[in-house]
Amino acid sequence: MGIRDLIRRVSLPPPSVRGETDLFDEEFQRKLEYLAIVSRRVFAGRMRAERRTKKTGSGIEFADHRDYVAGDDFRYLDWNIYQRLGRLLLRLFEEEEDLSIYLIVDTSSSMGFGRNKKIVYAKKMAAALAYIGLANLDRVAIVTTTDKVLDRMPPTRGKQRIFKVFQFLREAHADGTTDLGQALRVFVSQHKRRGLAVLISDLYDPAGFEHGINVLRYNKFEPFVLHIIDRSDSSPPLRGDVRIYDCESGEEREVTVTSRVLQKYKQAYEQYLTDIQTFCASKQVPYVPADISVPFDDMVLRVLRRGGIVG
Amino acid sequence: MHLIGLPLATLIQIGAAAGLIVVVAYILKLKRRPVPVAFSKLWTRILREKEATSLFSQLKRLLSLLLQLILLTLLIAALGDPRAAASVVEGRSLVILVDASASMQATDGSPTRLDAARQEVRKLVRGLGGSDRALVAQMDASVTPLSTMTDDVPTLEAAVDSVKATESHADFARALRFAVDTLQGLTNPEIVVVSDGRLGEARDAFGQVSLGDAKLSFVKVGSRSRNVAITQFSVRRYPLDKSRYEVMIEVANTSAEPLDLELSLYGDDNLVDLTKFQVKPGERLPRFYPNLAGASRSLEARVRLANGESDDLPADDRAWALLPERRRAKVLCVTRGNMYLEAALLLDEYLDVTLIDPPSYPVPGTRYDVTIFDNFAPVPAQSSGALLYINPSGEHAPVKIVGELKDVGFDTWDKKSPLLRWTAITDVNIARAAKMQPDKDDQVVGASFEGPLLVMGRRDGRRFVTLGFDLRDSDLPLRISWPLILLNTINNFIEEDTQYISSYRTGTIWRIPVPQDAKEATLTAPDGSLHRLPVLQGHAVYLGQSAGIYKLATTVAGATVESAFAANLSDIDESTITPAPELSVHGALAGQVQGFHVGVRREIWIYLLLAVILMTTIEWITYHRRITV
Repeated sequence: MGIRDLIRRVSLPPPSVRGETDLFDEEFQRKLEYLAIVSRRVFAGRMRAERRTKKTGSGIEFADHRDYVAGDDFRYLDWNIYQRLGRLLLRLFEEEEDLSIYLIVDTSSSMGFGRNKKIVYAKKMAAALAYIGLANLDRVAIVTTTDKVLDRMPPTRGKQRIFKVFQFLREAHADGTTDLGQALRVFVSQHKRRGLAVLISDLYDPAGFEHGINVLRYNKFEPFVLHIIDRSDSSPPLRGDVRIYDCESGEEREVTVTSRVLQKYKQAYEQYLTDIQTFCASKQVPYVPADISVPFDDMVLRVLRRGGIVG
Repeated sequence: MHLIGLPLATLIQIGAAAGLIVVVAYILKLKRRPVPVAFSKLWTRILREKEATSLFSQLKRLLSLLLQLILLTLLIAALGDPRAAASVVEGRSLVILVDASASMQATDGSPTRLDAARQEVRKLVRGLGGSDRALVAQMDASVTPLSTMTDDVPTLEAAVDSVKATESHADFARALRFAVDTLQGLTNPEIVVVSDGRLGEARDAFGQVSLGDAKLSFVKVGSRSRNVAITQFSVRRYPLDKSRYEVMIEVANTSAEPLDLELSLYGDDNLVDLTKFQVKPGERLPRFYPNLAGASRSLEARVRLANGESDDLPADDRAWALLPERRRAKVLCVTRGNMYLEAALLLDEYLDVTLIDPPSYPVPGTRYDVTIFDNFAPVPAQSSGALLYINPSGEHAPVKIVGELKDVGFDTWDKKSPLLRWTAITDVNIARAAKMQPDKDDQVVGASFEGPLLVMGRRDGRRFVTLGFDLRDSDLPLRISWPLILLNTINNFIEEDTQYISSYRTGTIWRIPVPQDAKEATLTAPDGSLHRLPVLQGHAVYLGQSAGIYKLATTVAGATVESAFAANLSDIDESTITPAPELSVHGALAGQVQGFHVGVRREIWIYLLLAVILMTTIEWITYHRRITV
């Protein structure tokens, strides 16, 4: 273990001090219930649990015809068409199934930078969205990632399973390097059932934030980017001659920090945020910047209004 | 260029060692503080731009090292105390005499001549060469060194600031002697006189002052000459009517133009008289105010121009005088009856006279200031005070009687005796007198060729006067001298000084009468300052240099006796304020001051140090502005 790791570990307070044991207390749960009620009111009439998919199957609503092939179930042959046209056509119906919501939580070290404020916020957001999904009878699964899939909570449904969600999130800690592309490739291979993939991350990916989102897009998932932003990252409290190192990769650089350098850094940070937003807009990926200075319940409502997760 | 401080070899060694330390310290930079960042990729772009200017950064760092080495060089050079070769000659030794006499209070300086003199001396001090040394001395009635012989400019400037104006003349001869003595044996001696030049001739009791090798320079201050002054102010009580007094004031116009004046006389701050008159140029005009009455104790005279303008020297426009204090003296007259004696005692209403027969003497329970024994000489009681014997006889006579004189008169007398003040005792015919044989300490005031007739002295610590004949055996009572002698004697006994000096002249040594048994006196000057004065032969001694009212306190037998007196400038020479264009001593003219370059110090190390401070300040500013980092 190098001196840098030692400093990093020493600089991180223990979980008890970080307040994570109280992350999902009664107050939090009351807020979740409130959010669930508000979400129903907001999306009244179009939030009744089921979400129609494009998959054809054994539903009751007619979708299309296709030619009969050997092995098809005779029960779905349209005999009226056969009588009129003499062709064997099979009736297809839209298959009704519940929505799968995958909450992908980035638990790399950068999420714990700045006294764990981002990871805590990410967990709260994940828990809230999970509760709303469960309340809407959707299938909710949670995955924690760094440069790989660290842990996963299998898809589940029903409000009563929220405590399982809490338990899963409590055990997640920020540690490791970020590589969303690699991690999400593993994720899509493990989850054949497509659905909404909510990526909760600060997107500090040295390989490029686009890779992870593109993996989801290319594999027919519906990506939703919830970008955790800590504004204090834009103006680090640095002055004078310092040796900076990346909290994940450990990459070192010597720099003399002046007010001019800080100003340039801030510009670079803002440009980075703009790049992410521009990318998501161009790829029609829903994007919500989640500033951790905004209370999480307000942020959840903002996410719901942005749409795409439920309704 | 020469090095006065550390030698060059030492400086090189120090420079090499210190330079090595600076360079090593520069190379061994402080290890940078490690700081974690959330996402180093964001920094990469900035640092890439930064690296583009790394050459400029390196140059700035080299500049920083160069700056530190320059600072070090300057400091080490300062340690060497380099001097220009021209200034490393043997320095001058200067005594700067600053005239602080009354005429230097003339208001044609900035604002006064003394202020102008201070400015001139400051210029001289700041222009001293690196090897020059100077001593600043105040020149008034005495001479007071205000500094040591030093080259320290702040010390000399502090000395200049401590020069105080006086209201007395300047003793030029004494100041020159002091300067010559101070410069004895020193290199390049020079005396600089900063004055208006009204110093008179440099001559004293020892003769003309010789300057020896010392060079004399003169810095003139002052320009105008319009002045009017009170040069004399005196007051006295009439001897035979002490409730009345007369005043003499002399006013002088020292200007070159006639002046209309307004002279005011105040008694206890109340206006007694106001007169307007004209005084011609150079005229000294005495004015008398006879037969003044009143309870006034202090008198003040003020003169000013009638048109309300001020003259150039206000210091001599006011003068003060005090009348001697009056008190009722208790006199016991032991006589069988003497009309001449009793009539003379009636002349002074301030005498509280008690007449008794000889058998009634002594009077128990009453103390007297004076006891007069007429043809009677008993053992004097302690309560009798001073004693006046008229024709004493017997074993208790204060002076031994050894015979009789016939048909005598006063052939010799002590004209300065207070007993004979205001009078003469010629042509007094005495039919019969006692032949007295005084003790050796006794003072014979008047005598015939055959023997003393009027004797004064002390017996058992008590003062006495003996008149050696019966008044009725002479024609003395028929003369005006008799009551004067009698009253002078009583006044002398009760120390109501008929020789009272109504005002002293500043710049002289005052001998102020104090009670006989006083050992020390405390003087309160007009400015409120206290001075302890020595007492010599019944007089407190003080060199007074300020005009105004003084108070003197003495302690005799546990009781404090207070008195007051006045002092005035009263010096026509000081009041003549026309500045002298040149100054000469012993026929030699004083030259102009030379070799003083104001604002240029010859100690280069000061400038080196200033350069270091300047460069350090620039470095500090550029560092904190992140220009050189």
